[in-house]
Amino acid sequence: MSKLFSSENKEIFLNPLNANNPIAVQVLGICSALAVTSQLEPAIVMGLSVTAITAFSNVIISLLRKTIPNRIRIIVQLVVVAALVTIVSQVLKAFAYDVSVQLSVYVGLIITNCILMGRLEAFAMQNGPWESFLDGVGNGLGYALILVIVGFVRELLGFGTLLGFQVVPQCLYDWGYQNNGMMTMPAMSLIIVGCVIWVHRSFNKEEQK
Amino acid sequence: MANDKKKGLDTNGNIYTIVYAAVMVVIVAFLLAFISSALKPKQDANVENDTKGQILAALGFDRKAVDVQKTFAENVTDKVLNNGQLEDYDGPFLSSYGTALKNGDLHVFVAKTATGEDAYVLPVVGRGLWGGLWGYIALDATKTKVLGTYFYHESETAGLGARIGDRDFQEKFIGKPVCDAEGNVALTVVKDGAAKQDYEVNGVTGATLTSKGVGAMCTEGLAVYYLAGFAAQCEQPCQQTECDTTEVEQN
Amino acid sequence: MEHLISLFVRSIFVDNMIFAFFLGMCSYLAVSKNVKTALGLGVAVTFVLLVTVPVDYALQTYVLGPNALVEGVDLTFLAFILFIAVIAGIVQLVEMVVERFSPSLYAALGIFLPLIAVNCAIMGASLFMQQRVQMDPETSTQAIAGFGDAIAYALGSGIGWLLAIVGLAAIREKMAYTDVPKPLQGLGITFITVGLMAMAFMCFSGLNI
Repeated sequence: MSKLFSSENKEIFLNPLNANNPIAVQVLGICSALAVTSQLEPAIVMGLSVTAITAFSNVIISLLRKTIPNRIRIIVQLVVVAALVTIVSQVLKAFAYDVSVQLSVYVGLIITNCILMGRLEAFAMQNGPWESFLDGVGNGLGYALILVIVGFVRELLGFGTLLGFQVVPQCLYDWGYQNNGMMTMPAMSLIIVGCVIWVHRSFNKEEQK
Repeated sequence: MANDKKKGLDTNGNIYTIVYAAVMVVIVAFLLAFISSALKPKQDANVENDTKGQILAALGFDRKAVDVQKTFAENVTDKVLNNGQLEDYDGPFLSSYGTALKNGDLHVFVAKTATGEDAYVLPVVGRGLWGGLWGYIALDATKTKVLGTYFYHESETAGLGARIGDRDFQEKFIGKPVCDAEGNVALTVVKDGAAKQDYEVNGVTGATLTSKGVGAMCTEGLAVYYLAGFAAQCEQPCQQTECDTTEVEQN
Repeated sequence: MEHLISLFVRSIFVDNMIFAFFLGMCSYLAVSKNVKTALGLGVAVTFVLLVTVPVDYALQTYVLGPNALVEGVDLTFLAFILFIAVIAGIVQLVEMVVERFSPSLYAALGIFLPLIAVNCAIMGASLFMQQRVQMDPETSTQAIAGFGDAIAYALGSGIGWLLAIVGLAAIREKMAYTDVPKPLQGLGITFITVGLMAMAFMCFSGLNI
């Protein structure tokens, strides 16, 4: 068992969370990251869905990697991903209907999320299933982390709530505090991601170009 | 996977590639078909639940807090208006009423509100600035006064027109009369701050066109029901102030 | 006709793929460093959209939709896989056709074409089309009710994307001369710029077409 949790594997898992974050550093998978973050709940569900899909598609491709014919490699990867995304979308419709309505087409767009294809091509095709699983979970969580930060800021400032519960106390509103309607607009998510990257790079000096 | 047996084969050969692709497509297709059919009943139930929740919201229930199926079954009966008479509806529950209204099937939900009042809920549909709107309007037993509403939209602007979906806006309708003094269906929405008559509701600030759409949906949607004989005539309900004064005089 | 025009104008300005839905962000951020290449990619995306959306529309109405192929059968769950397969196939086909008949265009677009298969804007347009098919053209300016509508929507979305990427590339060319704080340089400031552009585009949302 000790081999399963060796230091290299820990590195594989933790690296994408900070130093090699898929959104802040590699700039992958922005498309679906922004539109679903106006509230915290869809952001969390989206983050978890992507984590599940990256992890399992990484494992499946890694198991199949020696059998996949080179010429249809990309197609095989796309089919595996598309099948997993379809399953996730069906499960969400059945067990989390409200969230699936909020996420609308963005669940389907996980297929074209560059994180997935990037990790499959760069990692799962060369590594064993367990490492690939860790890599998938790590990248998925790194993605989810940014989503949750953006969703947190936008819901707190835009609606005064978190996960639907009122957190900004009434007395603040009585003193003239107002929810910032701007935060509920899509444009603000871009600016918040910009700021997250700014903070991230201030702390990771070697990333600066 | 079945393909493990073929290890040692030339994985770049034509036949291998074609067989591999075919096997993969078949496996994936069966897997997805299986999952889709297994989850289908649950998904349909969710859609139905959503509509029932919207009707309950118009009746003043907190749809997040109550058991939608149970509360709906206890408080609401689905009926159809036919030649001015309410008849029992025995078809499957519809989760949207646009087509039904177009075909002249006027559904009326005979219901009790959260506070136990008798009510009629009428589904209405209309168009907003960008796309379709729909709503449910709960009227009191005299069919003249609004007890509650629920509105939603396909694609109004977030933060502006989309606010017709907020409870704040929907609660402005409570207590409004359906008709004007001449006995015409008149319940409508006007620009924010411009409401002068009892039957006018202040719209959403900055979303005049969506507000107008909701107004037209209410007036036209309700008029269809009144013309089809839902209520014998549009009688003005006694105004709150008048009622109070009469009671005082009687005392 | 009126519906066609409003659908077209709306998909350029109001339902802009980048500013309203953040689709195709990966290549949008990566290839917007100078105006000339940005223009090339924009044209390629518009072209691929023009082909894939009508094909996926045909698939949706004649094969996938409820009761379309066989009475009582709803194959919508296969949509993700079929759409991505169509997109990957068509991108491949377009590449071959362009290479064969217009080598100069191929040289100009060459490197961008394969990238387009995983561009979220393409998949996104097909998924939005699938949603819009269910809308009622009498009440909704967004409804897609025929091949004409599908083509107008595809063309509008493509031109909207083209406008967005050329605009950003022009700004970034000028920005090279400005003094941006070190951690914000590159990606961070680009995000914030796109956010501000998105805000400017929000003005169009009040258009009454």
